[in-house]
Amino acid sequence: MTARFGSLHRLPLVLLIGTAAVFLSTILCVSPGGPALAASLPGTLKIGVLAPLSGPYAAGGTSFVQAATLAVEQANAEGGVSGRRVEIAVGDSQGRVDVAKAEALRLVSREKVSALVGAYLSEETIGVMEVAAAHRTVLIVPVAATAEITDKVRRDHARYRYVFRVGYSLPQWAEMISAFLSDRKVRRYGFVGAGIRWNHELAGTLERMAAAHGITPAYSAFYSAGNPAFDPIAVAAAAASPDIVILGDPGRNSVSFLKRLREVAPALPVLSVGGALGDARLAASIPLSAPVYVQAAAWRGVSPDATAYVERYEQRYGAPPVGYSDTLPYDAVTVLVAAWRTAGSVDSAVVVPVLEFDAFPGVAGTYRFDAAHQARWGAGPGTLHGTFVRWERDGARIVFPPR
Amino acid sequence: MSPLSQVLLDGIFAGGTYALMAAGMALILGVVKVINLSHGAFFTLGAYVAYALAERGIAHPGAAALLSAAIAFAFGVFLGKSFVNPIRSHPFALPVGTLACALLFEQAAQMVWGPHPLSIETGAPWVGPGGLLIRRWGAIAFLSSAALLAGLKGLLATRPGLPLRLIAEDEEIAGSLGMDVEAIRYLTFGGACAMAAAAGALLSPSGAVTPTMGRAPLILSLVVVIVAGMDSIGAIFLLSIGLGILGNACAYLLSPQWSYVALLAAVSLLLAARPAGIVVLAGRSD
Repeated sequence: MTARFGSLHRLPLVLLIGTAAVFLSTILCVSPGGPALAASLPGTLKIGVLAPLSGPYAAGGTSFVQAATLAVEQANAEGGVSGRRVEIAVGDSQGRVDVAKAEALRLVSREKVSALVGAYLSEETIGVMEVAAAHRTVLIVPVAATAEITDKVRRDHARYRYVFRVGYSLPQWAEMISAFLSDRKVRRYGFVGAGIRWNHELAGTLERMAAAHGITPAYSAFYSAGNPAFDPIAVAAAAASPDIVILGDPGRNSVSFLKRLREVAPALPVLSVGGALGDARLAASIPLSAPVYVQAAAWRGVSPDATAYVERYEQRYGAPPVGYSDTLPYDAVTVLVAAWRTAGSVDSAVVVPVLEFDAFPGVAGTYRFDAAHQARWGAGPGTLHGTFVRWERDGARIVFPPR
Repeated sequence: MSPLSQVLLDGIFAGGTYALMAAGMALILGVVKVINLSHGAFFTLGAYVAYALAERGIAHPGAAALLSAAIAFAFGVFLGKSFVNPIRSHPFALPVGTLACALLFEQAAQMVWGPHPLSIETGAPWVGPGGLLIRRWGAIAFLSSAALLAGLKGLLATRPGLPLRLIAEDEEIAGSLGMDVEAIRYLTFGGACAMAAAAGALLSPSGAVTPTMGRAPLILSLVVVIVAGMDSIGAIFLLSIGLGILGNACAYLLSPQWSYVALLAAVSLLLAARPAGIVVLAGRSD
């Protein structure tokens, strides 16, 4: 037996050298594509950006930071704020409330940021709100959608007046989806998402709002993120015969589920609430035997600003944005910088009234905040209404709102 | 097509995916006698290799499985020789160490391929008797896991598998017979990593490829091997299939959120009844 395995003693050494060579060449060749963090110059204004850069939400978090970086570069190219450069300081929230709060505290107290942008998940953002309130620091929320954020501002304005949300709240999200479903002549829909608070809230709100259009749910299911049972959900969703299935999960699970659904119901249209399925590379692997719609805050072709943003993003990062977890952070930074310019100061006491009463152009349109500091999204006139696209062989086509 | 029949068939396929991952885990637990928490990372590696090949126009599951198995074997042998063998006598060091390796791999994968989900075309399912849909990846997982576990069982039952069996039983005796126990251990570790990578490559079209995709299969494979008892290959396969059917049936008949709960509840009950593994229930003695 010794003879049999003896010659293999040298194998690990060869492997060690080979592996080290591969690892080093990999490290040397890889460009992380993250933010270029220059050393702080005196007089530089800092924005603290909180997003998950590791763990299961790293994909959305990375896009988040990339877009914020792009917005800061654009702001500096336009002269910064009163001649002062703007830069970002990044905190990795890891998708965890405690880490998000600790990172927010670090950014405010040690990095001396003038404002915060983030976090990513609703739970994280609720935690970060407390840090922002305690330190009287402006917090711009790009993607966290729970109604609790603006409810807190409404209930305790004195404490939370520093918090503004540029992204759509769940009721606004549901309103826009309802308008889209009505336009598509949908009468019965299915809703599938992860069994988290966010998806339950969206499903409940959507049910109420869609009812006003005569649209009812035919099926709804929430899966465990630990081991999603996609196959039986796909079978049950197809058996319920809805006109469309709404995918409430913005992450990789939406891709996995859609693949399973296409196997059992190739002719069933699908609407993703946004996120991963806005990525052209992923959409290319999905059979387009029936429409695949994706909701986004903005898309190439919606406006000259949106097209310019998409082209800049694509040029910088090598792939187009998905229109949600990148576009809204971009607009959050843009709105904040515009408010600083108008206020002529980064002092929260001066900036908050400017944010409350002014209008701020962004990629998705012009942002105005209501009394609860929520940007006005919706299906009505004078609101930001986002866009819905349909994937086709040669790319995405804007299908709603009518242009 | 009856929806329930489809759900049960899909449950068998889901069980096949558990068994595919559990095969390698059983080998490590049985022979090397360590809990390898980097097993899921090799699953992920296999999926990324399959994606890289598909990007280059080679979307063949067999080719992807072979290439990823070869790469994972090399990494596994290196890890086994340089890291696992030296510290395996420290009971807490190895799980923590292999977990660190897994997290390191996730970060490396994120640097190389990016954090964004990637995807490979699944291919249309086959239509079976009664209109039942046979998902390609499911059939591949079932057949591959059956073949792998049968091969493993065959190996252990014949002369070439004698060193593995002997080391699993008593390392000291194996060493006194002139066997190079260390080498056999790290080669076994490499072989198990190769199995995990092959599983990742074969199953990659079924979902999205991400740096953290190996976490859920790691937990399930560990659970299956420990509950089945790592010295019974047949029990591992049957338990995997049983859990797949149970999870799917609960998701369909009760609620999808109950699927994982039911699965883990069943596992807990089995462990409470037979901590040494269910093979003892079948009359085997330790």
